[in-house]
Amino acid sequence: MSSTVTVNEGFDVVRRRLAALLTPGVPVVSEPQPLEVASRGVQDPPTMRAAEVIEAPMRARPIQDIRETGFAAFLDGAQWSLPAAWVGSVPVVHGTVAAVIRERRERRLVTWRSPMVERALYVPVPLVSAEARAAIDATGLRLVDTLDARKAESTHPFALQELAYRAVLAARERLEQSLGAQWCEQSDATLFVDGGISGSAAMARAKCVVGVVKSHQTLHANDSDVAVIMALRPRERSSVVRIAATKRTAVASWYLRLRDSTGQDPLWGLVRVEIALAPALDVAQLAARADRISSWILAETLPLSAPDSRWDNMVYGIRDCEEFLRATRA
Amino acid sequence: MSARASSVGRVVATERRPNTAHEFHFWTSLDSPIGIGTIVRVDGDTPIAGQLPRVFGVVVEGFSYTDLQAAIDDVRGHDGLPQSAEAAPTHRAEIRLYTAHVLRQIPEEPLQPVPMGRVTLASDEDVAVALRMDAYLQPGNRTGIPIGIYKAGAMEAPIYLDADFLLGPEAAHLNITGVSGLATKTSAVEWLLASIFAHFPEQKGSVAAICFNVKGPDLLFLDQAGQLDDADRAMYAKLEVPARPFDRVHYFAPYTAKGFTLNTLRTNEALEDNVSPLTWGLNEVMQFAEVLLNKDDVDAKADAFIDFLQERVIGREFSDPMLSTTHRVRSFGELEAFFRDLLRGVEDRSSGEYWRTHHVATIRKVRNRLSNISTRCAGLVTDEGTVSDLPFGSFQDRTVYVVDVASLEEDAQDLIFARVVSKLREHLERRDLGVSHVVVFVDELNKYAPGDGQDTYVRKMLLDISERGRYLGLVLFSAQQFRSQVHRRVVGNSGTALYGRMDMDELATPGYMLLSPATKTKLATLEKGQLMVRHPHFAQPIFVRFPRPAVMRGRDGAERFPAAPEVSLEAAVMRALRSLDPGISLDWVKRTIAGHEESVVLRARTLTMQTRPERVQAFFEAQFRRIVPAAVPAAERPVSVPIKALPDDDPYGF
Repeated sequence: MSSTVTVNEGFDVVRRRLAALLTPGVPVVSEPQPLEVASRGVQDPPTMRAAEVIEAPMRARPIQDIRETGFAAFLDGAQWSLPAAWVGSVPVVHGTVAAVIRERRERRLVTWRSPMVERALYVPVPLVSAEARAAIDATGLRLVDTLDARKAESTHPFALQELAYRAVLAARERLEQSLGAQWCEQSDATLFVDGGISGSAAMARAKCVVGVVKSHQTLHANDSDVAVIMALRPRERSSVVRIAATKRTAVASWYLRLRDSTGQDPLWGLVRVEIALAPALDVAQLAARADRISSWILAETLPLSAPDSRWDNMVYGIRDCEEFLRATRA
Repeated sequence: MSARASSVGRVVATERRPNTAHEFHFWTSLDSPIGIGTIVRVDGDTPIAGQLPRVFGVVVEGFSYTDLQAAIDDVRGHDGLPQSAEAAPTHRAEIRLYTAHVLRQIPEEPLQPVPMGRVTLASDEDVAVALRMDAYLQPGNRTGIPIGIYKAGAMEAPIYLDADFLLGPEAAHLNITGVSGLATKTSAVEWLLASIFAHFPEQKGSVAAICFNVKGPDLLFLDQAGQLDDADRAMYAKLEVPARPFDRVHYFAPYTAKGFTLNTLRTNEALEDNVSPLTWGLNEVMQFAEVLLNKDDVDAKADAFIDFLQERVIGREFSDPMLSTTHRVRSFGELEAFFRDLLRGVEDRSSGEYWRTHHVATIRKVRNRLSNISTRCAGLVTDEGTVSDLPFGSFQDRTVYVVDVASLEEDAQDLIFARVVSKLREHLERRDLGVSHVVVFVDELNKYAPGDGQDTYVRKMLLDISERGRYLGLVLFSAQQFRSQVHRRVVGNSGTALYGRMDMDELATPGYMLLSPATKTKLATLEKGQLMVRHPHFAQPIFVRFPRPAVMRGRDGAERFPAAPEVSLEAAVMRALRSLDPGISLDWVKRTIAGHEESVVLRARTLTMQTRPERVQAFFEAQFRRIVPAAVPAAERPVSVPIKALPDDDPYGF
């Protein structure tokens, strides 16, 4: 699934090749903005989703300061989506997705095995002409039809860009899941995953994986429990809940306050943790595990992941993964 | 290439910090053996003119930083508590980034910026190539002189200087700088002389050294074995230099002002056999009167009269109507007699104020100044003209001649230095010194060739050696604490420069501007036995280690062989003559010299020592035969001493 990155798959090379094929004689001058940072990048709307409280009642639970961590490695992925060409109003998006596990050895982070990198052109194939399709194929890069997984809401160019963006995002998630699965096959040591794990059945059931979600567009809480979560103080976690969504594997989850949010918004310094839900549910064991994992995550708040703007809820291991992927993007 | 040592780093370049043809950057793992002064090799991946480029460089600067953008972030992360940092399960990503200066590129043309590539520690062979030593280490045409060992990690590579560039004729001279007391300057020179004596190429002729001992017992035990440890011996073995003291050393020292013991700390009876007196008479000194005469009071008129004396009077028979007799001036004593006669004649005959166009005041002034020389340089300059000199004309190969001037007045030191160097130069020009190359070691160059102050004869001589000596085989090894205070042309003409531990104030002077801050820091903290070397073949300075010299340290020598206490005239004569004839007794000396004046006894002793006759006692006794001993005064009635002595000029006193 992963491929060795070769120079001829790089964005600039592909872009020039496409320009030569699609619009010969017209020089490529503008520098496109990545869809991830463009205002056209899409975000889910803020949502509340009810969750079953396993460790009732929902309340704040203090975590002991044991200053020990059980995480052996960190997994994160990255993506870069750049419009490489336009066929009329149809964007041809060059997408790069990558995932890496950074393993901790002697308190230093090193790359586990090799990072996984994939590059492809994301195009709504039915909307381009046969000639354009032939030109896109001629680049030699893998072609992904963005209309395979979703239907276009409209043929507005930005709507088509959003489709490409979501397709790249999905590719990244798949890559992360694949790498996480490889880790679980060879190791029992606990892997810290950036983001949720319920998207992959293998990871959602693995005991060696802990997913930590930084964004809270969707709050997994009952209306009555939101106030408890928002009022969590540093080194406190909420009660464990069960999260089960369509097409996703059910996992156990809880909120954890990493830093004092006094004077900040209520989501500042807050993360949501996901772990596998054991088939035979033992609440006491689950609570003990939640306490232990919470203390590990709290231990990971050092060193500070500054200068990243998300340093309030990002651990250093994940920042290291991101920096690694950014540095090796070329 | 694949069989080479494993990589220790990667070349890296950014737009802000690009590589050039003379400088490049590379990063390493945190535990790499790279440090300031390490020599590295870069192998490029892209062939240039069909050849994969190889670049050799020496590390001159190092940087370390983390992914933090502001220090305050780290403080904030640990709540201002440094101890909490120890609890962090992960260390921040950290870089070791080094800057290296290019020593050599292969191919050398076209000269290009250093390519990206892998970095390895330079091997022995790499070091030889990097420093261009391969050119002078060829079998059959080897002119390498080991200076020390370059160490990096577990690797130790010998570093050689090129004899053609150290001792001439291509370049020459060596200057060494370093703070006192850290086994740098004297030790390095002692070690290097041993190395030169062991490796000086046969085809280049012979070599000897003259060392001026200017401080205590520094150079007074070069023939005695010093203490070496296993590491030193290993270095001697690796550099193929015998770990033993110098085989042939001769010491020279003037007498003390009294004239019968040598003015040196090497007076222990056990070491006297190779110590000779250094005494000069009028002839030897007049040539260098300029050294001793103060420019302020020897004006053009006095100068002209001195020239007249040198050309017309000294060393030849001279008569004049003004003089009562014919004079042959060969010593300060005879010169004084000449002056007395001349001034008496000028005054008696009332012939005016001039004699042969020279004003009588000028004559008096010159008399005063010249007579004063034997007083100021007593022990070195003798009134009676006795000469005991260095063996000009019969210098021996691989021999060290030490002239001990440590206890002398500045004037006497200057005179010795000026005359010895001038004589060396004369003989080397005539090719009759006995050796083809002479190394002259002068410490405290700050004093003898200062960068500022009035021009002195000694400084002019040092400049002359440094600028023209290499053609003659006259090589200056100089040392000082502050290179910045030495005349620029003297240090500038030194083809090779060594730097021991340096003072930070000195390193802040403009002369060290081209050194990187890290190199300066290393220089300021160098361990004993480490040097930074600049040599014409080396594109950049290199750090080396050298072994302790295999000779006894001056301080140890002074303790083990304490100087003999001041002795009587009889004992001094006995000790001197015993070196020629061990059977000589104190009683015999007492009997022989009884009733003779001290100056006569000393002249007899000096003549005996110079002649080194087979029958020492007979020769020594013969020196007194022509002299009628002064009558031993008969016992006299005690003279009553007046209560109050009369003044000498009392006209009523009888």
